[in-house]
Amino acid sequence: MSSPALVRHTEDSMPAIADAGPVSAVTPPATPPSFGTLALRWYRLNRESLRAIAIGIISLLAFLLVWHLLTTYRVVFFVRFTNVPSPLAVHASFTKAIHDPKFLLHIVLSCRRILIGFSLAAIVGVPLGLIMGRFKLMHEIIFPVAEVLRPIPAIAWVPMAIMLWPTNEQSIVFITFLGSFFPILVNTLHGMSLVDPVLVRAAQCLGARERSIFREVYFPASLPHIFTGLTVGMGVAWVSLIAAEMISGQYGIGYFTWEAYSLVQYPDIALGMIAIGVLGLGSSVLIRGAGRLVMPWRSTR
Amino acid sequence: MSEILPSEPKGHIEVKNFSLSYDSIEGPVQAVTDTQIHVKPGEFVSIVGPSGCGKSTLLNAVAGFLKPTTGIVTVDGERVNGPSAERGMVFQQYSLFPWKTVRENVEFGLKMRGMPRSQRERAARTLLGLAGLEAFEKHYPEKLSGGMKQRVGIVRALATGPKVLLLDEPFGALDAQTRVIMQQILTNMWQRLKISVLFVTHDIDEAIFLSDRVYCMTARPGSIKAEIPIPLERPRQQSMMMSSEFLALRRGLMSLIREESLKAMGGEINDMGMQGLSIELHGHSLADVI
Repeated sequence: MSSPALVRHTEDSMPAIADAGPVSAVTPPATPPSFGTLALRWYRLNRESLRAIAIGIISLLAFLLVWHLLTTYRVVFFVRFTNVPSPLAVHASFTKAIHDPKFLLHIVLSCRRILIGFSLAAIVGVPLGLIMGRFKLMHEIIFPVAEVLRPIPAIAWVPMAIMLWPTNEQSIVFITFLGSFFPILVNTLHGMSLVDPVLVRAAQCLGARERSIFREVYFPASLPHIFTGLTVGMGVAWVSLIAAEMISGQYGIGYFTWEAYSLVQYPDIALGMIAIGVLGLGSSVLIRGAGRLVMPWRSTR
Repeated sequence: MSEILPSEPKGHIEVKNFSLSYDSIEGPVQAVTDTQIHVKPGEFVSIVGPSGCGKSTLLNAVAGFLKPTTGIVTVDGERVNGPSAERGMVFQQYSLFPWKTVRENVEFGLKMRGMPRSQRERAARTLLGLAGLEAFEKHYPEKLSGGMKQRVGIVRALATGPKVLLLDEPFGALDAQTRVIMQQILTNMWQRLKISVLFVTHDIDEAIFLSDRVYCMTARPGSIKAEIPIPLERPRQQSMMMSSEFLALRRGLMSLIREESLKAMGGEINDMGMQGLSIELHGHSLADVI
């Protein structure tokens, strides 16, 4: 429609460029840009994130410094820092601990419990949420029971879990499972309830049957919420695991932390806490990474 | 390509003695009553009417999403019982699958039919080329403009070689310039494919510019108020919209719709009421008077 105009436009503009002489702003320079130029450009493009990283490092260092000062001078101001271990003491116990196979065993066992409990929760919770979201009868049957059990904190299940399961290990995994199960189920259900009905109709008009609609529309449409559920579930899984280990464990990083208190090994308390923090952070980073892999259409935002 | 370029026009839509009502607490509500429409094979027919008149309801019944309360909907003599790939649909909200790339969206219908991957990739590329979207095949819909999204929507609906194409205010969310270009792209595709089109819009110019015939619906409960043939020659150019012939058709349709729109607003505005808009304020501003 507008092609004649376009042609005329190029004809008009060609001589104009020629008149401008051999120097043209559009032509790229013959030599590739020097390393310095590239580095400068990279810096300009990434200035914001570099800034965030720099400030992040400074703030962590400041935290360590405040901790150091509070403990070296044994400050007592409402809160008592008299017995709190200093960062240096924690560092000393850390270097000792990483050569101690028992400490590593604590960590490995906690990770294994999380892996089993959380995976079971995901394997049961996600499909159950999808089915409940799709079939009204399943929702009507299961939802009331889930709603009654959901508000019970996983820690409150400890005595019941000990009665239910023959070994301590199984009951701890069960508690971890319970902790992550409900956030995963509820978020999957929520995702299913938000699926745009127009997309379902579009799929039907293109010849999709029930099974294909489930696989090609309902499931991918719910994925963002499923991953929200997995992230929240992972957080609650750690909370439940540590509580269960402190109460009934013989191994695990929660047990290690509690034992350190009983044995007056104060630096180990902080070491256990930091280990829990790092492990929790690591597992949520893993889930976020998996989410980005599974949902490439969202990572471009 | 033979699948998407049928030689014979096909897709004879017939809607007979159609009515549709739904239940509410006050009893059944009539959305559409006593409606007959038809679209001949290869014909381009539009439905216009005031908002809420049931034109989308009618279209959804032809698509198979809604069951008529009375009457029957057939395509090529076969009764419509539910949605199928024989009746392609384009929605106002684009409704592309956000988790699929442009090409995967276009491939969807072919995949549902069980076409092998390499074959459907080739078909999708060809179709995207026709719509000028080849360069965007790997993009996710979110990155596209509204006009591009709707082009993908149209191409996706056409990919399976449907007998009829149903469009529910497809350009309603686009800006005026994009809309004009999209109308031309749609005309072009329709002329190549020779399939029947049923097009729902509230834009009178759009309906006249695109259609062979226009049905005008009454206010709720909707029924057909008038059927207007559009004798403008094809191919149609944008400049035709200024022709006296076009303007005469436009004037006729405008007055039909206006009558129904006023009715649809529950009589709260009649021509007497509209006169109030031009009351002389004798130099005072509106704020002073109030």
